[in-house]
Amino acid sequence: MSADEACTSRALLARATAGDAAAFGTLVRMHQRPVYSLALRMLSDRHRAEDLAQEVFLQLYRSLAHLESEDHLSFWLRRVTMHRAIDRLRRERRYAAMPLADAEMASDSADADPMLERRLRGLLEELAPAARAVIVLRYQEDLDPVEIGRTLKMSVNTVKSHLKRSLALLRAALAVPGSGAGGGSPTPPRPLPSGHRSLV
Amino acid sequence: MSQDMNRDDNHDVEQRLRAALRPVDPGAGFVAGVMARIAAERPRSARLPRTRAAAGWLTFALAASIVLALLVAHQQQARRTQQGLEARRQLIQALRVAGDKLELVSRMVNAQQPPPNSSNSGA
Amino acid sequence: MNSLLRRCILTLAAPAALGVRLAVAAPAAPLKLPEFESLAAKASESVNVSLDSSLLGLAAGFLDPKDPQDAGAKQLIAGLKGIYVRNYTFDRDITYPAAEVEALRRQLAAPGWQSLVKVRKEKDHTNVDIYISVDQGKANGLAIIVSEPREFTVVNIVGAIDLEKLRRLEGKFGVPKIPLPDDDHPGGAPAPAHP
Repeated sequence: MSADEACTSRALLARATAGDAAAFGTLVRMHQRPVYSLALRMLSDRHRAEDLAQEVFLQLYRSLAHLESEDHLSFWLRRVTMHRAIDRLRRERRYAAMPLADAEMASDSADADPMLERRLRGLLEELAPAARAVIVLRYQEDLDPVEIGRTLKMSVNTVKSHLKRSLALLRAALAVPGSGAGGGSPTPPRPLPSGHRSLV
Repeated sequence: MSQDMNRDDNHDVEQRLRAALRPVDPGAGFVAGVMARIAAERPRSARLPRTRAAAGWLTFALAASIVLALLVAHQQQARRTQQGLEARRQLIQALRVAGDKLELVSRMVNAQQPPPNSSNSGA
Repeated sequence: MNSLLRRCILTLAAPAALGVRLAVAAPAAPLKLPEFESLAAKASESVNVSLDSSLLGLAAGFLDPKDPQDAGAKQLIAGLKGIYVRNYTFDRDITYPAAEVEALRRQLAAPGWQSLVKVRKEKDHTNVDIYISVDQGKANGLAIIVSEPREFTVVNIVGAIDLEKLRRLEGKFGVPKIPLPDDDHPGGAPAPAHP
């Protein structure tokens, strides 16, 4: 964030804290994408993700006085979203594979493989909530293990362990055509690394 | 060789994960939904009650003056709400700073205390 | 809070501990806090709060009784007549504002005020002074002056306050309002009180 942007964000936060509804609406617009995306990747359902994301912003509205800076706000939003999502998943015990409610927009990249990406998202849903949370924070938010640990209240070693295990599982599952959610994938099977057990 | 394959495989999976997990926007009515939920939580006195315009200039004048009075009251209430929220924010800040410094004092005094003597009843 | 600090409070505020709400003792007048212009100009962040009894009442009306943190704050400020805070944080080590602190100490030398804690840590360039105001044997005011290498703080509380509750409440501010164990506050948990 540039110095000007930081200044504007600080002013926006101050105005929202003072009760300026328009300023709060702007804050929501600025942060809706990461909050909603985190909820979506965790819950795998657009409506539930929207509902959870709105709850997070409602809680933000009540908690504005406790936030000191834009960085603190981003950290707070991420943390609250992930904890609420994990809580919800644990309560509902729904980490069996579920298809996404709606199709997602196509990627712009020439390398994009929508089927593979969909399959990856399906495989992600088979991970336990904590492991899924680590993967989402690492590869959606680009956080390093220390930041992930702070967000999820986990030790760095636990984070790294989740990353290593989850990547190995995903890699192995991708190597086996038709395994996990999403059905048959056009990706050709790859030889598994020696000594590694597959997911199925 | 297998270590290189592992690294390549991991890199590939990581790239695919980044693509699969790219952030997306919620639906168009998301912000409005948040604001509506907030409005639903606010106390009744902060909401502006509706009034109806009626036929006839006397009735219209009466309605207009009621609306004006309500707008003024609403503005005053909104101002009071703003002041109250600001006072609350300052209070929380003040308590945080005060508590923080007391915690510092507690740590400093702890550090100065001699270790407890097991034969002693207390320092 | 450790036993030494607790004993100081009990000795000076006998027979009532600071946490007891005082119906009889008149509140101390708020201190006249200096402007600290030299500090304010150099501070990277500052907190400047002046809440008299009417503003405290207004703030209390906006504390959510269903929220544990707000409820704690509301309990803490019940019976207070004022909270005044000047806190300045700097990007580099500061010169101690000797003249302004001396002006404060002159006020704290007035009858009724007593020094409760005085800690000097040369190695860390940190000085702490806590004073309480006592009226008819009961505490009715608090002043804290803390000078750290990159932070300077004055807190003046008018009325009776529970110091232990205030210290415990500190750990809850600045973290998300969901029931998570708090490990964001530096310095870790205080030592357990000795019997």
